[in-house]
Amino acid sequence: MEYLAHVLVMVCLYGILATSFNLLIGFGGIFALAHATFYASGAYAAGILATKLGIGFPFTMLAGMVVTAAIGLLVAFPAMRVGSHYLVVITLALQAITIDVLMNSKPLTGGPDGIPGIPPVSLFGTPLNNPVAFLPLAAVMAALCCAVAWRLGASPFGRSLRAMRENEAAAQAVGKNLVRMKLVVFALSAGLASVAGSLVAHYIAFVNPESFTIEETILILAMVILGGMGNLWGSLAGAAILVLLPEGLKFVHVPGDIADMVRQVIYGVVLIVILRLRPEGLFPETVFRPPTGAVLPTVPANGPVSAVVRAEGAPGEVVVSAKALAKSFGGIKAVKDLTIDLRRGEIVGLIGPNGAGKTTAFNLLSGFLRPTGGSILYHGRDLTKLKPHEVVTAGLARSFQDLKLFTKLSVVENILVSLPRQPGDNLLDVYLRPGLVRRAERENVARALEIASFVGLLAKADEVAANLSYAEEKLLVIARLLATGADVLLLDEPLSGLDTGTVERICGVLRDLARANKAICIIEHNLEVIRGVCDEIVFIDEGRVLTKGPPDTLMRDRELAERYFG
Amino acid sequence: MDLLIQLTLNGLFNGAHFALLAMGFALIFGTTGVVHFAYGPVYAVGAYIVWALVALAGLPFWAAVILGVAATAAFGVASYLFIYRPFEIGGSPPFVVLVASLGLFIVLKNLIGIVFGTDVKTVDSVAYDVHFVGDAFFTTVQVGQVLAALLVGCGIALFLRASRYGKAIRAMADNREMATVIGIDTKRLSILVFALGSAVSAVAGSLVLLRDGLNPNMGFGAVFVAFVAVIVGGVGSLRGAVIAGFLLAFVQSLGMWQIPTEWQNTIVFVVLFGFLLARPSGIVRRA
Repeated sequence: MEYLAHVLVMVCLYGILATSFNLLIGFGGIFALAHATFYASGAYAAGILATKLGIGFPFTMLAGMVVTAAIGLLVAFPAMRVGSHYLVVITLALQAITIDVLMNSKPLTGGPDGIPGIPPVSLFGTPLNNPVAFLPLAAVMAALCCAVAWRLGASPFGRSLRAMRENEAAAQAVGKNLVRMKLVVFALSAGLASVAGSLVAHYIAFVNPESFTIEETILILAMVILGGMGNLWGSLAGAAILVLLPEGLKFVHVPGDIADMVRQVIYGVVLIVILRLRPEGLFPETVFRPPTGAVLPTVPANGPVSAVVRAEGAPGEVVVSAKALAKSFGGIKAVKDLTIDLRRGEIVGLIGPNGAGKTTAFNLLSGFLRPTGGSILYHGRDLTKLKPHEVVTAGLARSFQDLKLFTKLSVVENILVSLPRQPGDNLLDVYLRPGLVRRAERENVARALEIASFVGLLAKADEVAANLSYAEEKLLVIARLLATGADVLLLDEPLSGLDTGTVERICGVLRDLARANKAICIIEHNLEVIRGVCDEIVFIDEGRVLTKGPPDTLMRDRELAERYFG
Repeated sequence: MDLLIQLTLNGLFNGAHFALLAMGFALIFGTTGVVHFAYGPVYAVGAYIVWALVALAGLPFWAAVILGVAATAAFGVASYLFIYRPFEIGGSPPFVVLVASLGLFIVLKNLIGIVFGTDVKTVDSVAYDVHFVGDAFFTTVQVGQVLAALLVGCGIALFLRASRYGKAIRAMADNREMATVIGIDTKRLSILVFALGSAVSAVAGSLVLLRDGLNPNMGFGAVFVAFVAVIVGGVGSLRGAVIAGFLLAFVQSLGMWQIPTEWQNTIVFVVLFGFLLARPSGIVRRA
């Protein structure tokens, strides 16, 4: 009985560790190798506070969570700004110094001997000093942690995380602040892992550095991979399987330290085998579908233009004014002197040969590249120093030539995630003001469906983006762009590779948008189309504006005809 | 003053060791993009093989090193062919390969413990001298580390610049897709860099066997230092990795002036942290 209870307690603790790790890698796509550190930090915080200061259980745990989340934030910050390999190496480094600190800060951590004699948790005067008594507490804490993780996964913030995992550039382009999101989920995951740490400290009554080496992180990782990334139940199952699997060794007579190593070998082998045979793990990613069912019947198909929020201001007013933009990469000047105005209610076509700097111009305008010269004014506000997500929030959004859809998300989720100012993107609101988040979500779903209907994708609302036809993908790109609520829209080749029917449809959408007073700029090669929709053409070559004017005038230009139209 | 000389010498010798480890890792990571985490335990396996050949089989040290280096190269190639290659063929994302390498790491590390035991392994049959500069001292083994780093470094530089394979490796490191397009056999090159990189690590391992002795945990520290050196040096630059290896060792060594020895990893971490904040692209930036 004692033995069974002990095994179950370990399943609960590893369940907490695995689900919190899953939030990080399965939902956020953030690959860090510091979970043993967070676990250790929780355990040592409990050990030190309980033995040195005589503080009792729930407080040791809360203190541990705060400390651990702070460590996570501090360390992750520089790495989050640069890229994935950096996070791997910096968390690896964190792992290395964790052992340094535990081994060497003897007065505090007891060095290699650890901290013995940590008092047990005491509930209503009863010490939980044996596995049977401890199991209910472990189970409740595991359930709580899973509930916190589940709530996050199912929230709009969780959706944003998955979008970020699918495509970072696209997530920025719909206004998501990636650094903030990564730091938030990192801190939360670290805090949850530390809960397991304080539980284990009070449970075993002893902590030492050996329990928190890199092998521990790999073990937890193996549980997540085995259960399936992005599936929280899977992580619990993975934890249960990998805790139980080596218990069989107990019945074979091998010395203790060898048995420990054999266990580790088993974990490693399981990890490699599962990656080979079933890389998605035992369970598929959990699908969190937004509640479209209640709203869907009320949305008219081929929705009206009312789905588009009309931009304020007089038609023809200059909204974006870029002056003398320049960008050089090393010695190569991709854009030399680009001056362009975008006006309300007008569609500008940006044309020019390949390599002329059209996409670079979009990257400069949308904040994906920082110009080396010139200025971009949006309603008189300087955009040049803003980050992509700030530019979107200001009111200028762009699409990508290679679409960059969130392929594992459904159509309506792709649109939903792009809607601005969602309370559910704020984790505090997710946990503390669920009513507000729920109401906002309901409104947003309705709004997303309207937009889907406007571009003609209502019938596919719940379809996964990966299953769409190319034409539908292009429509979804426009829907996503619209959802950002921006009044300046930059579309990178929205019409290329489409049949005439779809081209007509998208042209219609573009005209509707212009009528709704949006300022629009498209990159396009098809001259028929340009003649059909654009009010002005800006022809650029070798990074500078060669000429601009109404389509008909420009297309009669002989020099231009020679250089471009051939 | 003598302390300063001693610390500088230590920095130099340890720097040579780090530079060797970093070169091997940089060759593999820079060319194939595999974060070969098991580089650490493979290096440890190499050192244990040398130990076994000397202490158990009674071979002379030089012969053991030659066999050990060859065996480690074979081990490295096997880890590529049996563990990483199938994922590459299947088009797995890089992170899956990294996870597989963690799996391999934990398997190899513990197999070493099971096969050889967890006590420290040393050889006493190899005699070496102690030299003095004032009160500061160093051993022939440490001189050997510097010579080895110098020879291996020059050898690899020459190989990459002058030979046909070397040029192909540089092309592949630069742009793998393009390399494939112009007919470079990336599989063969991957095998080659895994063999070379692992062999380089085995040279470092053999000398560490003489200097400090071996334990099953040695792989983690090795791959940690190598990885950090590659990031600090600038991904894709072998020269940067070598410079960073020396830099880490000097900072560690001079840090000991004020800070107790046990905090080595913390010092490495501080250097890494500083670089990520101030110069995230590393010492040698690539265009």
